[in-house]
Amino acid sequence: MIGIGLTVVFGVMRIINLAHGEMVMLGMFGAYWGHLLLRLDPFVSLLALTPLMFLVGTLIYRLLLERIVAGGELNTLLYTAGLSLLVSNVALFAFTADYRTLTLSYGLAPFRPLGIAVSVPLAIAFLLALLVTAALALFLSRTDLGRAIRATSQNREAAVLMGIDVRRVAVITFGLGTALAGAAGALLAPSLYLYPTVGELLIVKCFVIVVLGGLGSVPGAIAGGILLGVVESLGAVYVSSAYKDGIGFVLFLAVLLYRPTGLFGAGK
Amino acid sequence: MTRNSFFLHVCILVLMWTLLGAAWNVLGGFAGQVSFGHAALFAVGAYTTIILYLKAGLAPWWGMPVGGLAAALVSLPIGFLCFRLRGPYFALATLAVAELFKLVALNWESVTAGPVGYLITTLPPVRLFGTRLDWEGKPPFYVAAALLGVIALGTTGWLRGSRLGAYLAAIRENEDAAEAVGIDTVRAKVVTLALSAFLTGVGGGFYAFYFRYVDPDAVASLNLSMEMIFIAVVGGLGTVGGPLVGAAFLTAVGETVRARFQVGHLLAYGLFMMLVIRYMPEGIWGRLRRMVPGRRRDGAA
Repeated sequence: MIGIGLTVVFGVMRIINLAHGEMVMLGMFGAYWGHLLLRLDPFVSLLALTPLMFLVGTLIYRLLLERIVAGGELNTLLYTAGLSLLVSNVALFAFTADYRTLTLSYGLAPFRPLGIAVSVPLAIAFLLALLVTAALALFLSRTDLGRAIRATSQNREAAVLMGIDVRRVAVITFGLGTALAGAAGALLAPSLYLYPTVGELLIVKCFVIVVLGGLGSVPGAIAGGILLGVVESLGAVYVSSAYKDGIGFVLFLAVLLYRPTGLFGAGK
Repeated sequence: MTRNSFFLHVCILVLMWTLLGAAWNVLGGFAGQVSFGHAALFAVGAYTTIILYLKAGLAPWWGMPVGGLAAALVSLPIGFLCFRLRGPYFALATLAVAELFKLVALNWESVTAGPVGYLITTLPPVRLFGTRLDWEGKPPFYVAAALLGVIALGTTGWLRGSRLGAYLAAIRENEDAAEAVGIDTVRAKVVTLALSAFLTGVGGGFYAFYFRYVDPDAVASLNLSMEMIFIAVVGGLGTVGGPLVGAAFLTAVGETVRARFQVGHLLAYGLFMMLVIRYMPEGIWGRLRRMVPGRRRDGAA
């Protein structure tokens, strides 16, 4: 889900958003505080967080990013790098660097479908992620707005000629990407450690996934995510668990070199 | 002559970062190849220097250039791998390489001592021009750092006026056109990376020398790469004086923030990075230079 958000943003606006990880972090913390202060189950606070993150995303785009995009991809890259540092450090300030966990009352209950031990929150997260992804796919293919987004992603000038308000599409897409990230954060909150710099770890994985599948391609991002997950798990068992993160990087480099458009060939 | 020790420490930091910023600038500003992976080269320099000292007794002032050479050597396969890519893809690839390096540093315990790292407890005293330096005070380090800073800026100044510099400017503006004109872009990029790597490695060696402690989080982290980038960008991409201005500015801001708030100097870096790109893309030094009337540099970026 995080990967999809990133890839959509890139596809439409050619922005590589290094601050994407921080958006996830915000989602995670949002869910955390919701749980702590309001006793809201994160899967419920998801409903409030997602639109909120959408709003945050559109604001960020409108106020901050829009002017920079005209300056070129590298400038944008550097700018989002700065943004990511800014957001994660503000969070560090506000939330302190302590690791936190969000434990749910049903989180520890054993759950064994088909004899494999699965954690309940993770399973719920997985199902919801599937749901969201399916909904997104429908949105992109059936609705006018969805198609406008895809069109802009494929060929910006043609989209303008067809009468699509590219600027509005850009704002909405960025908001969408951010909302996806925030939602993913809320979903992950019960299963991962929460700390302000978690964005760093996530963003790197996220890029690997997105490049694997092809920057700009949504099905690619999905496939990339699954591929990375499988490769990492297998690698941890067969190669070495210390280097399991490294496997992702090696794969990433290999793809960049031999099939830079990604395994599903939709990238730039 | 006594000086405020903290002030000297800050100056040393500024000079070290000037070196690193200039090193990155060589590749990023002059050649237009934005690398997010320079921490890997820094780490190679740092580890080489500290290991040679602790295991082989090679004094760090010799170890530093060796560290630089090691980094330059390492940069060759990295360049080979990454230079096939352009722009943001190159940046991402270098990021992946650097993270791989960090993983290796964390896990290859026999060589790098893993997360424990290496610690220098004593440095050998040296006789220089009749005075005995025992490396306990700051001034000797300051002199060393100043020397490195001068070398770094001198190198970039030379580069700018040289033929290679002209090639790099062409590559930065339009790599395909440069190729069409007959510039061997591959060779230019490789040489530039090696130069950048050498300077970075020396910087790493200095870090090992001055801070005396090397571990993967300190020398191989993404944050380090980002700091190098920030300094070059905020100061002035592609300029000679830029890294010095950038280092001075960011260090001053960073230390002030740290003194007041304990954390969050990175926050200032991120903030200024954003401000600069938005309002002053040519960096502080670039902007200052533009305001000087009558001086028109040839082909300023």
